[in-house]
Amino acid sequence: MLRRWSGRKVGAGVYVALVLIFLFAPLVVVVLISFNATSNMNLQVSGFSFRWYRQIAGDPLVVAAFGRTALAAVATALVSGVLGLTGALGAVRLTPRWRTAVFTIPLVPLAFPALLFAVGLATFYHAIGIGFSIWATIAGHVILALPFVFLVLGAALERFRFSLLDAARDLGAGSFTIFRTITLPLLRPAILGAMLLSMAISVDEFVIAFFTAGSQQTLPLVLYGRINLGVNPGLNAIGSVLLVLTMALAFMAARVSVLEVP
Amino acid sequence: MTQQAQPVAGEAATPEGGRPGRQGSEARPPRRRTSNARRRRVGTTLLLATPAAYFVILFVVPLAVLVVYSFFTYQNFNFIPKFTWANYVQALTDPALRVFYFRTLRIALGVSVAVVVVSYFFSHILMYVLPGAKRILFFLVLVSLFGGYLVRIYAWRTILGRDGALNDLLIHTHVVSHPASFLLNSNFAIAVAMLNYLIPLGVLPIFSAMQNISPHLLEAAEDLGASRLRTVRTIVLPLTTRGLRAAFAFCFIATMAEWVTPQLLGGPLDQFVGNQVLYEFGETLNWPLGAAIALTLIASVVALLGILFGLLRLVTR
Repeated sequence: MLRRWSGRKVGAGVYVALVLIFLFAPLVVVVLISFNATSNMNLQVSGFSFRWYRQIAGDPLVVAAFGRTALAAVATALVSGVLGLTGALGAVRLTPRWRTAVFTIPLVPLAFPALLFAVGLATFYHAIGIGFSIWATIAGHVILALPFVFLVLGAALERFRFSLLDAARDLGAGSFTIFRTITLPLLRPAILGAMLLSMAISVDEFVIAFFTAGSQQTLPLVLYGRINLGVNPGLNAIGSVLLVLTMALAFMAARVSVLEVP
Repeated sequence: MTQQAQPVAGEAATPEGGRPGRQGSEARPPRRRTSNARRRRVGTTLLLATPAAYFVILFVVPLAVLVVYSFFTYQNFNFIPKFTWANYVQALTDPALRVFYFRTLRIALGVSVAVVVVSYFFSHILMYVLPGAKRILFFLVLVSLFGGYLVRIYAWRTILGRDGALNDLLIHTHVVSHPASFLLNSNFAIAVAMLNYLIPLGVLPIFSAMQNISPHLLEAAEDLGASRLRTVRTIVLPLTTRGLRAAFAFCFIATMAEWVTPQLLGGPLDQFVGNQVLYEFGETLNWPLGAAIALTLIASVVALLGILFGLLRLVTR
């Protein structure tokens, strides 16, 4: 296409490029510096090395935090996946109007400030005498993940062919058979996508963990703690790990749930 | 469009459940109909009750507990369940807190307006100027959305710091002769970082609102000889107000309740109301006061948004 670009298009292209550069600049900088051979913190990258990755891999605190982050991600995905699935199974039996209502309520935490929910959760745990731990954090992560789970599942239900359930019932299939042979296989990509998205949210989450994890720090908490102690290139390695993990999970989520369209 | 087709399918899916079904289901043999229907209704309720219970116990109840705690009395580093208004009185009258409020409000308004403007132009270009690259560009914005919250804030420390990437660049291009130190630990740094992670969240609702505008409307406007500007003013803008409002509200709430960004990028004096909440919870351990501050904050944010949108409606009418 050698169509002449009008001034308007060039201007628009420049604008879009500037916005995207601005959006990606911090991500690129963190990843770039994490491979720097020296402890220089600017873009005078002097050679490629895994030095900082080796450093954090040998740091028991970081390794333990990584383990907790992974645990939180998996647990959040499992719990929110089960809750999302039960909700969706209930919702498929509702009339469309009710279904919309049911799928709107869990979206509330989406616009709710994390700080407020976090201090609420902390006081709640205090009131019922539950100590802060990674499990306390996971319980909160599930609430943050639920809106996304319901968004993904809600979109899948919009395309769901409800006539199949009717047909199966007419042919004498029981509730469990219908679930096993129709509902679950049809919703599986969406559930998988929703669970991957939940993992991404949990890995990246900071505020809830800050208020409820106590001494059982996750990776973002370790990063935060060390930022306050002073900037060092090892932090960029931790940041890059977090970044790549979150992006990879979100990307897989997108792939999985897009693939569901037959 | 799927919205309209869907009710038909949905209605067919629930021929029982107390509602009169379609013709076909009535014609079916009535074996075990009623008991089955009741059993299914109980099942549906149970299925929906599981996530609902979780939501109530871990979201609604904690917020209720926060409200209760905000009325507790704070005494000798301890809070006792004795009713008092004192926390709210302090949250509303403390002069230091008022300073925090106005600073937070100023930056939040600035950032939210900037996010909406940048996102609007971005969405407009994607939709109408470079429609060929629409999908890939929108995808890139979504990717950046998952670029990590804390990591991104932290990254601005390396970019804006005295020995950071930006100073490096400015010196190499001879814009400045020695590193500028005002970049970091300032309102500027806070605003830049918040803009950075909020723009994708602003593009999301505005872009989807624009996508819902029928292209026929724009063609009609063009056919009738309307200028581009006039088309935008009379068709695109009015039809995207919901997206614009959602973007603004989301950014405003997020920035008003922010504390991580000022903590990491602001100077010791550039703190937000949220930092005061953190201070009461983490340092003085005066949770009741922290709870009262947090709750008055969200209440004032909601009230401000209501007033703002009300005024906007009056003006645009």
